[in-house]
Amino acid sequence: MTTASIPVANRRRRQPTKLRRAVRRNLTAYGFLCGALICFAFFSWYPMVRQVILSFQKTNFVDAPEWVGLKNFRTVFSDPAFAPAWINTAMFTLLALLCGYVIPFITALILNELRHARAYLRFVVYLPVMLPPAVGVLLFQWFYNPDYGLFNQVLSFFHLPGLQWLNSTSTALISLVIVSTWMNMGSGTLIYLAALQTIPSELYEAAELDGAGLFKRIRHITIPQTKLILLVMLLLQIVATMQVFIEPYLLTGGGPENSTVTVVYLMYQYAFNFGSLNAGNALGLMLMLVLMVFSAIYLRISRDNTV
Amino acid sequence: MSNVTVTPGRSAQTPLTPGRDDRDGRRQRRPRKPINTQFRTAVSPHQLNTTHGRIIYWIVLVIVVVSFTAAFVFPLYWMITGAMKSTEELNSIPPTFLPEHFSLDGYAQAWDLLELGRLLGNTALYAGGAWLLTLAFDVSAAYALSKLRPVLGKVVLALMLSTLMIPPLVIMLPAYLTVKDVPFFHWDLLNTPWAIWLPAAANGFNVFLLKRFFDSIPRELLEAAEIDGASPGRILWSVVMPISRPILGVVSILTVVNVWRDFVWPLLVLPDSDKMSISIGIASLSSQMPQNVLVASLVIASIPTIVVFFIFQRHIMAGLTAGSLKG
Amino acid sequence: MKPRKLSIVLAAGLALAAAGCGSGNDSGDAANKSAAPSANPNAPVSISVNCEPPKTNKAERATFEEDVAGFQKQYPNITVSKVTDAFPCYDPKTFEPKLASGELETVFYVNFPNVGRLIESGQAADISSYVTELKTYPDYNSSLDLFKKDGKVYGLPTDGYGMGLVYNKDVFTKAGLDPNNPPKTWAEVQAAAKKIAALGPGYVGYGEYSGGNTGGWHFTASLYGRGGSVISDDGKKAAFNTPEGKAVLQNLQQMRWTDNSMGSQLYIEWPALMKAMAGGKMGMMLGAPDVLISLRNDFGGKFENYAVTAQPEAKALLNGGAGYMINPKATPDQIRAGLKWIEYKFLTPGKGQLDYVRAKSQDLTVGQPYPDLYGADTASGKAVTDLRAANANIDAAQFAGWVEGSKGITPKPEPGPYAQEIYAILDTPMSAVLTRKDANVDQLLSDAEAKVNSMLASKS
Repeated sequence: MTTASIPVANRRRRQPTKLRRAVRRNLTAYGFLCGALICFAFFSWYPMVRQVILSFQKTNFVDAPEWVGLKNFRTVFSDPAFAPAWINTAMFTLLALLCGYVIPFITALILNELRHARAYLRFVVYLPVMLPPAVGVLLFQWFYNPDYGLFNQVLSFFHLPGLQWLNSTSTALISLVIVSTWMNMGSGTLIYLAALQTIPSELYEAAELDGAGLFKRIRHITIPQTKLILLVMLLLQIVATMQVFIEPYLLTGGGPENSTVTVVYLMYQYAFNFGSLNAGNALGLMLMLVLMVFSAIYLRISRDNTV
Repeated sequence: MSNVTVTPGRSAQTPLTPGRDDRDGRRQRRPRKPINTQFRTAVSPHQLNTTHGRIIYWIVLVIVVVSFTAAFVFPLYWMITGAMKSTEELNSIPPTFLPEHFSLDGYAQAWDLLELGRLLGNTALYAGGAWLLTLAFDVSAAYALSKLRPVLGKVVLALMLSTLMIPPLVIMLPAYLTVKDVPFFHWDLLNTPWAIWLPAAANGFNVFLLKRFFDSIPRELLEAAEIDGASPGRILWSVVMPISRPILGVVSILTVVNVWRDFVWPLLVLPDSDKMSISIGIASLSSQMPQNVLVASLVIASIPTIVVFFIFQRHIMAGLTAGSLKG
Repeated sequence: MKPRKLSIVLAAGLALAAAGCGSGNDSGDAANKSAAPSANPNAPVSISVNCEPPKTNKAERATFEEDVAGFQKQYPNITVSKVTDAFPCYDPKTFEPKLASGELETVFYVNFPNVGRLIESGQAADISSYVTELKTYPDYNSSLDLFKKDGKVYGLPTDGYGMGLVYNKDVFTKAGLDPNNPPKTWAEVQAAAKKIAALGPGYVGYGEYSGGNTGGWHFTASLYGRGGSVISDDGKKAAFNTPEGKAVLQNLQQMRWTDNSMGSQLYIEWPALMKAMAGGKMGMMLGAPDVLISLRNDFGGKFENYAVTAQPEAKALLNGGAGYMINPKATPDQIRAGLKWIEYKFLTPGKGQLDYVRAKSQDLTVGQPYPDLYGADTASGKAVTDLRAANANIDAAQFAGWVEGSKGITPKPEPGPYAQEIYAILDTPMSAVLTRKDANVDQLLSDAEAKVNSMLASKS
């Protein structure tokens, strides 16, 4: 061995080790990933791809499927309920944000100030989340009944005129939003509450020394300190509420006069009641693309804020 | 409100001060028990303990407790008693707030007719298995994505998250075909718990939550273990897992509640009535039974998740705090 | 770099999926092509059947199991390999997945509104060349028409009844009406409803559906009664924007807003109105005789309080019911065996569902005038009527009004293969007149007409 060859050998040895380590790290990583990857591949990704394919086909599951290009998209596009479905979905999402987003935050703010009955309050606010959706629906069917429901009885107690709730085009959608908020606000409240408890107390104290009042403190400390979680929840909620289905399906059947037909409800009608699964898939694909846009925003935000 | 000045002597009341001494000290000065201000929040502790502040505090507390009870507990009461009423009484106007006759017949009937015991057992099996599998697969996946950072890791994560964008109804049919005949393996998973367990593990939100949490674990901690010669599996088990208990609690409750509440998917893959989960059992028979029996079965079906939450409330809250910290 | 990698993954996925799609559909073709009866009718064959009554329904479940055993004894070459008891028997959510995966039973249950659609989309086997082997086949009444298309037969009705008017005798008495002399005209219905609603809060004179496709369904029933049609005979155009259609909506609008006799709750799914009826404060609803049995068995209603009479002024009756079809992937031997099962279980007087002696001994109701499958003058029709009368254990008077009043009125099937789409569109006018006092009936009908026309046009 000559002295000159040592650095070469060294260099040679170092390179393979680096590579080998990278390979080993990757192999280990995919070893850890493989369980989840198999589950995702079989039960999410592969069905997703097949769903995309189905939306360009016509099939009755007996004969060979037939490629029909954009026909399914044209079918749903020309449906008279198509436009109302998207408008209702957008309205529902907007209203659900106003209710289902603001109310849990305010609730969390108040709960955070209370020093008594905390465990009890946390528990009850989460109760509806754990009940089967059918429970909420049964309950609200009774509450909303215009003739003898609880809500109208309460209104008449205060000498206010009763409302038609689910039975009027003007109030049906907001009634669904109320049910949805009631059923789902528990998780939001608990998440906000948890976030509020992580705000360092020094910040409040400093603000107080500066003479900031209660509302100023909320505006300048509480909200900025929880901005990230508020944003994340906002987007998650948009993605979730745009898929609203169970409330109109169980409570209004899309009526009255199509005022509560949502995109997923229409999709359900196509796929299962109209026997046109392909058209339902096409509609699902459209919704998926819209949701992707929101998620792209979401991913961007969460990436910018990675620790 | 803001005219209350900070008086000397109270400045010692920082949240870090052990509450007990502080309270004892004040108790000597004031006969009434002050409101605990151990956690500093938006409302100033000083204002809170003025007479004025106390009055407002107690008024707010009472309002909140009463309205929460009305909004979230009363419905439960209504259900529990509704199951004791007859069909005609359920439809009576004005509704009765106490059942005319106290009887548990509705419950007994629901239990026998629907074989709720079996349904509950099935559902517990599905939820338990899904829970174990989800933890095993999603935790290790999140760990790999967060700490081992393989090639294409970001793509994998993005693909996993993309599954949140599809309404589950859309991919139901293709997913069903997969369960009926798993590609390459040609297994038929219908009517087996695997049909619930495996798809439950493919949960993008869980992976995401876990990965965000793992991202926040200091690298040094893992490196120290690595230098000691621990393998990645060992590190995951004895370093990462113990400090991740809160987020594991959150993922657990989410998984269990999801399996418990899910309805359309089990309806498809568990057609055998001996294998049904509770939500399908009730839903598929709901149009064929008197309303009080239906309500009774809904009450019984709700109990297990409520109990689980009640027991693990503290863990879940801790997990949410930890999870939300990282956004 | 990243997008390219993504596209590789996607491309691989697509290829995989395409392969999967291609292979999934081969199995069924062979059976489909020829319906040539096989040489040996006694060749061993195995079939699966569905619609076993759920466990909650112990008595009927027991008779079903007894029949499965009896059937296999009678035909030793036929094995019933699988019996499913998923409920409801026809579930649109599970039908296509099961068909696609081969899980669908050989003989499957289907309710009338979905029959046309399954035939149209080729999801039921053509059984024309086999049905002639059934003894009672020639005796069928017109309920069979729904299962026919272009001269071919795709299934057999096993349960059928024309629409009627269900009413609560107890409520009638309370309102000072004669429970034995129910309304015969719509004017009388309106007057009776008004009296019932005047009983106090919670009382509803007349209940009607308006959402989840049930509104369109009952609109159709009312329209048929008044002599109208939902679609033209060739099935290409809407035909309900007529004086008859207008009368249906105007009548409801008047009862709802002028008389205030319909309550203000909307009923959007089948069980909703049934529960309200069972609650004992609703006077009348459109419904066939099966509603009475269902109120008794499923909704805890006081059976003796209810009765069913003929639909007022009816010129035609919407035919409700259910039947069985055969899996399009079945082999000829399986089709033949499947039809034997339908015959044994549902069509033979004195056997299966028509075994009234057994039904009576098991405390099931006997005497309700349905299933109404056979012509009144046929041998099978007479046999069923006699057996029923001999074993009746319920008060025939509760159904007498319907039996007498419906005689000779033409039954009319659901409006074609796109009935569900049409019903969904017709929900809109129904819910409009029940929720808006100022709803413009003409406008609603012409809007709905335009929607149905464009929907039908897009299908052809």
